Amino acid sequence: MNTKKRDRVYFWMIFPAFAGFTVLYLLPTAMSFLYSLTNWSVYNAQLRFVGLRNFQKIFTDVKTVAALVHSIKYAILITICQNVLAVLLAVLLNRKSRAANFVKSVTFLPAVLSIMVVGYLFQYIMTSADGGLLNRIIEWFGGKPVNWLGDADIALYSVLITQVWQWTGWSMVIYIANLKSIDASLYEAADMDGAGSVQKFFRITLPLLYPAISFNILMSLIGGMKMFDAVFVMTKGGPGYATETIMTTVIREGFSSGRNAYACAFSVVFFIVVFLFSQTLTYVFNRWEEAIRA
Amino acid sequence: MRKKAISFVICAAMAAGCLPGTQVYAQDGQEVVKLRMMAYNAESARATYLQYLADKLPGIEIEFEFVSTDNFDNVLNSQLQAGEGPDIIEVGGQTKLLARAGYLMDLSDQEFIGKYSDSGLQAYTVGEGVYAEPLQSWFEGIFYNKKMFEENGISVPKTWDEFIEIHKTLEEKGIKAQTMGAQSYEPMMKQSIGLVNNLFYSDSANMAFDEKFNEGEGKLEEAWLPAVQEWYKIIEAGCLNAEMLGLSYDQALDEFATEKAAMWECGPWAVETILEKNPDIDLGMFPIPGTDGEKPGWLVGGPGSAWAINAKSEHMEEALQVLEVTSTEEAQQALAKDNAGSSFVKGVEIDLGDIYADCEEAFKEGNVYAPWTAVWTNGNAVTESYGKSLQEVLSGSKDVQQALADADMTNADLLEALE
Repeated sequence: MNTKKRDRVYFWMIFPAFAGFTVLYLLPTAMSFLYSLTNWSVYNAQLRFVGLRNFQKIFTDVKTVAALVHSIKYAILITICQNVLAVLLAVLLNRKSRAANFVKSVTFLPAVLSIMVVGYLFQYIMTSADGGLLNRIIEWFGGKPVNWLGDADIALYSVLITQVWQWTGWSMVIYIANLKSIDASLYEAADMDGAGSVQKFFRITLPLLYPAISFNILMSLIGGMKMFDAVFVMTKGGPGYATETIMTTVIREGFSSGRNAYACAFSVVFFIVVFLFSQTLTYVFNRWEEAIRA
Repeated sequence: MRKKAISFVICAAMAAGCLPGTQVYAQDGQEVVKLRMMAYNAESARATYLQYLADKLPGIEIEFEFVSTDNFDNVLNSQLQAGEGPDIIEVGGQTKLLARAGYLMDLSDQEFIGKYSDSGLQAYTVGEGVYAEPLQSWFEGIFYNKKMFEENGISVPKTWDEFIEIHKTLEEKGIKAQTMGAQSYEPMMKQSIGLVNNLFYSDSANMAFDEKFNEGEGKLEEAWLPAVQEWYKIIEAGCLNAEMLGLSYDQALDEFATEKAAMWECGPWAVETILEKNPDIDLGMFPIPGTDGEKPGWLVGGPGSAWAINAKSEHMEEALQVLEVTSTEEAQQALAKDNAGSSFVKGVEIDLGDIYADCEEAFKEGNVYAPWTAVWTNGNAVTESYGKSLQEVLSGSKDVQQALADADMTNADLLEALE
């Protein structure tokens, strides 16, 4: 088969996926950019250009800015907590034993549950009602009950804990897969040089976990920025606006209130923030990779 | 060859899956038309009525889709924008917005609309058009456990101060006085509007305020402030507390139904679930009291939800049949059986039952009002903003004036979006 013919075959093979990507992602994204400069509302048939007014409103509305801050804070915290715990668990459980396999399975189990199910479950576990399981345990140990989901200062962290619980096992499995690919002779050489466990972890394991770390961190960060379902189920963005995120605000403004153009503008801001985050991380990871190779 | 045969079978199966399904026929051989009905009141609150429709209209099969109020506008608006959506829609505060945007069918020419009183149609009228058929009135007051009241020598409060006093009396005896699922923005929003009804809307001169609010001229921060400050006394007294922000609607209902709390603010739609959980509970409801003990208090409510027809429905004729049957006395009685509320069909009397005996005076005086469903254009979004800000008031980070200012700002933003 000559090159041109082969390229044509490849083109038609990727065409369905590319067409889907264009229609379902590229086009709506471009339309969101355009609509963000208009007064588009589900309740208003007259579309007109309003320039950057929607963007101006976003940065002068304290509720919307708070949602942006919550999303960034949540994304950074979940990325750190989830990945630190997952790396530690992966290193501890990367061995052949029935007990290790059992713990791995148990740790991974929450990841197969729906976020909605986990959210409803924890809503009952963390409730401030008399039957709240978590508070009962705290009281049994002599502590005072905590208003996990109703206290504006801690509600976001309560949601975060549930998501760390759910997704740490998923990250751990990726780290374990990466650990399996590290050559055992490196550890043997380190042993012969008299390196301790901590030195081996920081000098061999962590640098060679680079592929899994870069993937997991990027996924956690983007997933954290997109947080919607757990917040929606557990706190509905409340109390007040204490757990509102970018996505809950976009849904509320765009669909409930009918301020579609405003929601589009906020989606554009979201796109830019995620783009900047991912570009910065990619740059940092590339530099790290170069340092490891050097 | 074998691979080709397998591929052919799989393709044939996929093609068969794409073919339209078999038509369903009623017993008399007539083709059954499926109508999508989207509602924010649960199917259990319409069970008798839906059965009545099924008996009366054998040629129509209703697919009832319940979507909770928290998510209703999201789901509905996205479907309507896509040019789709249910055939029949349960509408409330969003009716005027949807009608102006051309999503709803004008029903003003339909004969059955003439059966309804003007007070029932007012909330669904835009210009000369009527865009929904009212189902029944809705109201919300304070449910109370009669047995717990009697055992503790408490009678139904006539003033807001007495209401607060009851809390203190019960709490001193180790009884949780009032439960509230304040995780939702709704209960505090509605309870405070109950006080606004008592102190502001009770003066008929103030009824014009809502139209001014729709124009962006009237401000809640100025008009409602004294009433909402009066309501705030219940927070100052510790009767509503920040712990309630961690309680959902279902959890609050559980606490009241299982007699862990003596009072709970809600409406008739919850009665069935309460009685399912505790058939022995002795239930009553009283209106939200004001400051004048001589007056009967107010309920929050009014023309509740209504049926509207999607302007792009492919089954308008059948949808109109459903609305026509709904306007009969039998259908109105069937509606009231699962969800107490008076009828707006002229001449139809509904017996609400003993539970609501303490609300009788308020009903007679017509003390039932909810401005956001009756008049406001942006009712749902403004009350959500106000209710969420009241959650911040309960958690101590805002005062009621700021909460009202937030609601004004939301109204201004939405009016600007409609320009």
